[in-house]
Amino acid sequence: MADYKKTIGIEIHTELKTKTKIFSNSINGYGKTANSNVNVIDLGYPGTLPTLNMEVIRLALKAALLLNCEINKEMHFDRKNYFYPDNPKNYQITQFETPIGVNGYVEIEVNGEKKKIRIHDIHIEEDTCKSIHYKNHSFLDFNRAGVPLVEIVTEADMHSAEEAMAYVEKLRELFLYADISDCKIEEGSMRCDVNISVSKTAELGTRAEIKNIGSISNVGRAIEKEAARQINLLESGREVEFATYRYDEKNDQTIIMRVKEAGNDYRYFPEPDIPYVVIDDELIEEVRSTIPMLASVRREKYIEAGISLLNANKIIQNRTLSNYLNKFLDSGIDLVIASNILLGDISAYLNRTDLELDDTKLTDAKFIDVVNKLSSGDLNSKVFKEILDDVMEKEQSLDEIISSKGIKIISDPTALKKIIEEVLAENTTSVNDYKNGNTRAIKYLMGQIMKQTKGSASPELVNKLLEEELSK
Amino acid sequence: MGDKLTREEVLHVARLARINLTEEEIEKYQFQLKKLLDDVDKIKEVKLDSNDKLIAPVDEKTVCREDEAGEMLEPEEIMKNVPVSNGNFVEVPVMINE
Repeated sequence: MADYKKTIGIEIHTELKTKTKIFSNSINGYGKTANSNVNVIDLGYPGTLPTLNMEVIRLALKAALLLNCEINKEMHFDRKNYFYPDNPKNYQITQFETPIGVNGYVEIEVNGEKKKIRIHDIHIEEDTCKSIHYKNHSFLDFNRAGVPLVEIVTEADMHSAEEAMAYVEKLRELFLYADISDCKIEEGSMRCDVNISVSKTAELGTRAEIKNIGSISNVGRAIEKEAARQINLLESGREVEFATYRYDEKNDQTIIMRVKEAGNDYRYFPEPDIPYVVIDDELIEEVRSTIPMLASVRREKYIEAGISLLNANKIIQNRTLSNYLNKFLDSGIDLVIASNILLGDISAYLNRTDLELDDTKLTDAKFIDVVNKLSSGDLNSKVFKEILDDVMEKEQSLDEIISSKGIKIISDPTALKKIIEEVLAENTTSVNDYKNGNTRAIKYLMGQIMKQTKGSASPELVNKLLEEELSK
Repeated sequence: MGDKLTREEVLHVARLARINLTEEEIEKYQFQLKKLLDDVDKIKEVKLDSNDKLIAPVDEKTVCREDEAGEMLEPEEIMKNVPVSNGNFVEVPVMINE
């Protein structure tokens, strides 16, 4: 079994984040009442004509640039003809001959090894309506009809489930960060089709296509299952059929949908209702300038600042937090502390109150003050928790909040040492326990000291001084 | 090549168009479709100086619209043109075989 090599190519459909649809000005929105975001163009009424949404061109161009593609500067659309209830025009407007971007690549990393996955093309097309099937009826909702999509087609450059998952994850991260798409796989705004074949020789085997896989982890599972199924077939002397499958998550298996129609049955021809679209250098530069700092660059900067990989990834997953932290990259504040409170107390506050950072009274100056005081010991995490609501909700400065609460922070080591000496003198039993190897005794002593200071000392500083004192 | 398409070719086109043909029609279209294809072949013989492809009946480039919402139809309006509806949905015979 081990000598079979998997070969994998992926097609990803991603909905573009526009206000309106690609060829009509009805709203592009998810989760609305069925057939409420629809107009005559989306329904393919006779006599209607498509008008192209400029924002679609901008977003698709941004995507093509991110994928390092060559841009087709004079492009057109094509009709893909088929009869199916999900598309009442009986053709889908797509790009066949002149995709907006070709010959690109994406770099992925698996087990520390970097690899380029070549992009065959990225093209623009309209989504079809959504159909729900129940018994022997299908129910159609045209809210999705005409939603702008880009389809990204890779070369068959991947050879393991891990590589395929890394590619999908990378594409998702790129598009999320560049604000091209929501990339919500579970809501269908990003959909993965995987082509897979297995072979023992350099010649590729017959491939199967697995449609519409519902999550990144399922991309991996579906590949493993389908490869195993194909190897079983070949090992028992049978052949793999060129067909389309779907992945059934519940039973962890691939199920056949249809034997594939040949591509030329779609009778593609240029869409005569939309003349050539010209993409000039000015537009390319304008769009290029809107590409924000990418997740991979952010990750590098965070790790350079001493933030752990785990926390760096957590911040990157939340673009608002990441953009916020980026404001302070060159401010000289302790970014580890900054990231810790953003991920910890501040995120908890935002979740609890259902607010965004922008809705709070946390100014940049106040944030810098908090981080610097936590860093110097003039504020400790326990007190910060206590005053957090005020920090987020009041116009007052940090100093004003601290003094209005009557909180005194002891950050003077001499004053602290005095308290520590007193506590140690009163608790000789615990001190002896500690010196006899019962390290847990230090916790009790810490507790006593914090009690004496009424929690106003920095635990980190107390711990440091206490250890010094005990090792005397 | 001959002067007609094969029976299978006509049936294939009919299947793509989702129409049923009688025996008589199949035979008739074998000749008619072949005639159509021959006419297109004649057009292909025209010698062109350039490779410019005319994709639209106008020479102008596409003018795009900005991303601003306009009027939409009420679901009740839509359902007036729908043979079978179910609530806000358009109902059709089942599209997949589970």
